[in-house]
Amino acid sequence: MRLKEFKFKRYRKFILPSVILLAVTEGAAIICGATFDDLFGGLGRGVLFLGNLFPPNWGAFPEMLDPALKTIIIAFLGTLFGSLMSIFFALLAASNLANPWVRNATRFFIAVERAIPEAVILILLIAAFGLGAMPGVVALSLGCIGMLGKLLADVIEGIDPLLIESMESVGGNKAQVIVFGVLPQILPNIISYTLFRFDINIRLSVLLGAVGAGGIGYELDYSFGMLDYHRAFTAMIFIIVIVFGTERLSYYLRKKIKMEGALT
Amino acid sequence: MIEVKNLTKSLPNGRKLLDGISFKVKKGEFVGILGPSGAGKTLTLRCLNGLLKPDSGSVIIKSENSEPLDICKIDKRELRRVRQKIGVIFQGYHLVKRLSALENVMIGKLGQINTFRSLFYGFTDAEAEDALKALDRVKMSQLAGMQTGSLSGGEMQRVAIARAIFQSPTILLADEPISNLDPSNAKTIMKMIKPLSEQMPVVGVFHQPEMTAKYCTRVIAIKEGKVIYDGDPKLSNKRLEEIYGEELELIEQQEHMMPLTAK
Repeated sequence: MRLKEFKFKRYRKFILPSVILLAVTEGAAIICGATFDDLFGGLGRGVLFLGNLFPPNWGAFPEMLDPALKTIIIAFLGTLFGSLMSIFFALLAASNLANPWVRNATRFFIAVERAIPEAVILILLIAAFGLGAMPGVVALSLGCIGMLGKLLADVIEGIDPLLIESMESVGGNKAQVIVFGVLPQILPNIISYTLFRFDINIRLSVLLGAVGAGGIGYELDYSFGMLDYHRAFTAMIFIIVIVFGTERLSYYLRKKIKMEGALT
Repeated sequence: MIEVKNLTKSLPNGRKLLDGISFKVKKGEFVGILGPSGAGKTLTLRCLNGLLKPDSGSVIIKSENSEPLDICKIDKRELRRVRQKIGVIFQGYHLVKRLSALENVMIGKLGQINTFRSLFYGFTDAEAEDALKALDRVKMSQLAGMQTGSLSGGEMQRVAIARAIFQSPTILLADEPISNLDPSNAKTIMKMIKPLSEQMPVVGVFHQPEMTAKYCTRVIAIKEGKVIYDGDPKLSNKRLEEIYGEELELIEQQEHMMPLTAK
């Protein structure tokens, strides 16, 4: 085989996928009406808009503290209740603990729940309960089940079956097997996944705030609505600090758990 | 006393794993079950506390204060009650590594205390004291507060024995309790198990004829799901050859290192 022929054969496998990808992208752009003109024109306007944000309105700083705290509390309570519910559903969704009917029904529920975005749940809850933090907490709690419920159920299915057997061999019932045999084994995973979910919930809490749960997300949306860009920029700074801060905190705690061997 | 009558267990393809296993073990006896790998030793042991249901046969438990009971013919609830008095020491220790040695010992009485109380780790001071005494019997009380995951294999097996002692069983089963241990630790564990046979029948599965010869009061040999020997723990070479066949060469090497079996 000549070098030229070899090179052609080597790159040939990329040609067809690239052509398909380009065709699909072009098709999607035509259907959505997205053009390069819009992109480049928008970029220019975006830069101008960023200029309008400066400087932030530091006078609005004190009035942002309360909504910022509200956003953190919504995320915290949502994660707390959500993780507790997730443990319950995970126990029902694990094949080594629940009977096949219960397991399959719970897995189905978890999958359906995962398919519904938190914002959609919130809109439904707002229709039922009205605006406020409570629907936000419930939406985030329910949102946790889809992710944590599945992850924890998979972890439970992977635990040492012999340990369960040893609990049963001393006459332990199902509840005792769970408390003494299952939960201690999955505790590091519960903590790690919950911290990770808290990190996600902080971001979602900002988004849900804008949809109707209140908090810093609402302040951002309201300021943009009132064309008060300097105030909006103050809210953005708060959001960046909260998101970055919780991300770091969650990362630090998860790393600490790992270093102490709790995850191994 | 524990009486095993005609236990059988087969695979769906018809291969017989247990083929009419029968024996009796009384208080004061330390019975070692020997046999080549796949002979049915562990299966037999698992039938003794209902972890495995045989296709036919019975496992009758007779204790001083209660009626004889066939654990192959009782429901789940009753089986849980019976298991409270059957201590099991497993090959892989089966301890909760994230709990302390003391908490692991307390798990031995899980079936005997109120469920609600146990769910909140609500053991009484008296129970904690008894658990400490059990750890003391296996010389582990100084490590009672240590997380079990940080203990060595020998220490973990001692905690497992303490758990069985704390359970105050009427029968003790041991599934290859010394397989994962070095010779020195294995001897220590055997020395700890042997005196327990004065209080209850002890049945153990072993792979070390030299150990059963030294510590057991009787040996039962199982091969291809059948009992082929039941008697004196000191086995002759001919008998060992009968039991192990091709595996004998390995045993002879062990004998050479630890000449404890009768010639």
